[in-house]
Amino acid sequence: MSQKRHRLVPETFGLKRRRERGPVEADPLRGELGSARAAVAELVQLFPRGLFEDALPPIALRSQVYSLVPDRTVADRQLKELQEQGEIRIVQLGFDLDAHGIIFTEDYRTRVRDCVLKACDGRPYAGAVQKFLASVLPACGDLSFQQDQMTQTFGFRDPEITQLVNAGVLTVRDAGSWWLAVPGAGRFIKYFVKGRHAVLGMVRKAKYRELLLSELLGRRVPAAVRLGLAYHVHDLIGAQLVDCVSTTSGTLLRLPET
Amino acid sequence: MLGFLSARQAGLDDPLRFRRAESTRRNHPDVHKYSVETVQWYPHDTGMFTSSSFDKTLKVWDTNTLQTADVFNFEETVYSHHMSPVATKHCLVAVGTRGPKVQLCDLKSGSCSHILQGHRQEILAVSWSPRYEYILATASADSRVKLWDVRRASGCLITLDQHNGKKSQAVESANTAHNGKVNGLCFTSDGLHLLTVGTDDRMRLWNSSNGENTLVNYGKVCNDSRKGLKFTVSCGCSSEFVFVPYGSTIAVYTIYSGEQITMLKGHYKSVDCCVFQSNFQELYSGSRDCNILAWVPSLYEAVPEDDETTTKSQLNPAFEDAWSSSDEDG
Repeated sequence: MSQKRHRLVPETFGLKRRRERGPVEADPLRGELGSARAAVAELVQLFPRGLFEDALPPIALRSQVYSLVPDRTVADRQLKELQEQGEIRIVQLGFDLDAHGIIFTEDYRTRVRDCVLKACDGRPYAGAVQKFLASVLPACGDLSFQQDQMTQTFGFRDPEITQLVNAGVLTVRDAGSWWLAVPGAGRFIKYFVKGRHAVLGMVRKAKYRELLLSELLGRRVPAAVRLGLAYHVHDLIGAQLVDCVSTTSGTLLRLPET
Repeated sequence: MLGFLSARQAGLDDPLRFRRAESTRRNHPDVHKYSVETVQWYPHDTGMFTSSSFDKTLKVWDTNTLQTADVFNFEETVYSHHMSPVATKHCLVAVGTRGPKVQLCDLKSGSCSHILQGHRQEILAVSWSPRYEYILATASADSRVKLWDVRRASGCLITLDQHNGKKSQAVESANTAHNGKVNGLCFTSDGLHLLTVGTDDRMRLWNSSNGENTLVNYGKVCNDSRKGLKFTVSCGCSSEFVFVPYGSTIAVYTIYSGEQITMLKGHYKSVDCCVFQSNFQELYSGSRDCNILAWVPSLYEAVPEDDETTTKSQLNPAFEDAWSSSDEDG
């Protein structure tokens, strides 16, 4: 009679649990290839419209596009083409020199028309804003406007330009030059800066200062993050504030050493 | 860091060991008093080399006797100097100092009266073009990079502008190459393009004939050096690479597409300088951890396995993440 055990001890006691191999899912947020336009369309889906009561057009950031389109030079080139064709507007969001917000022109026009004109019905700057939307937006696709461009080419007078600044469509940059702006974007920028800091803090406080992407997305959202974890993660990856390391368990976000 | 002359020993199969051939001892009467910033061989033969240092001098050394043949004294500390690799009609050494003027020293006559004026702050890097013997590029802490023709009396040829003249993107006044100090300059080996790095953590590629920013985006290239950053480009590879010291690693990018190939990890402290030897296709890097490492391309290709249906992608094997460490002895 064979005294030999035919099963291993751990198997007998059921210590080795057989793990169910689920279907291998693609890691969320990664592995999207394609053009810059598809990336911007996807990113505006992540924008929380309800948070701003539909007053703001959905804004994506250039760094988010870099996280979806890995080749930066190609992404820059495609965004520039889209800007020249008039499909998107690029807006300077004051907190960082490189932070450019990307908005579809249609969205920008409808939102500005709806909310600004609704707020200033009967006030003097309604006319100036209408004129701006009709004449300047389609003609000039740049981020900023100069004094002589506004007065001579588009025929704005100085009081009208002041009305545009009051309405929030232009922001003063220099003496005689203005950035294109989104009215009411101040709240968005405040939430964005706080949220970025909070998500970066989540990675910083983790052990070894690294977190699996799937675990980060599964955690409880801190109160400071109002725009959504996925929105901020795209921005952090694209701005190279975290390093993306691909491991066998998925993508790992790690703070750079320096 | 004293300038070392090194001799290679075995072939590629043995690990490279550098032997220090000669060095100037500390009690040498002509030794530099403070840190040596730049060392360069005379471009035409190895009978002479030049070294410049924070002690406000540029010394010209005779290699065989290891004595100084000539000394140029300046009023400010010298950050960098360069001698043209293709010059046949002149023997000028361009010197970048803490003052805003670029000085050109003539080795034949011993004078350094030729001055290029135009920058407003200290000059952190200078580089002659490898294509035209009279074209010089200088980079300064006032965020500007200027291209000069030294025969011309009236000022610089081009000031590089990162926005290519479009006022709409410039935050401040235009004509700046970077949004911070410009630390390093390197021409590509054919001289048609120029790479610059700045303390705004960016690297830019410029067309050197018209000064246009090619808008290739390399991402974030960390740069916290307060002096010049000496980086280098490859020469003779099928797609040229640029090797930039990045903290304690060296980042390798393809020049014209901006893609990051790899980071070479091997040093323990921050890497100060790296230089490429085109005959052996090797990279030598020096760092604050008192080591010089030689990086050798891995020459073997991956053997395709028979039972795999998909073939392995053919990466350029020349720079595939292999390093062989070589410690300098002594």
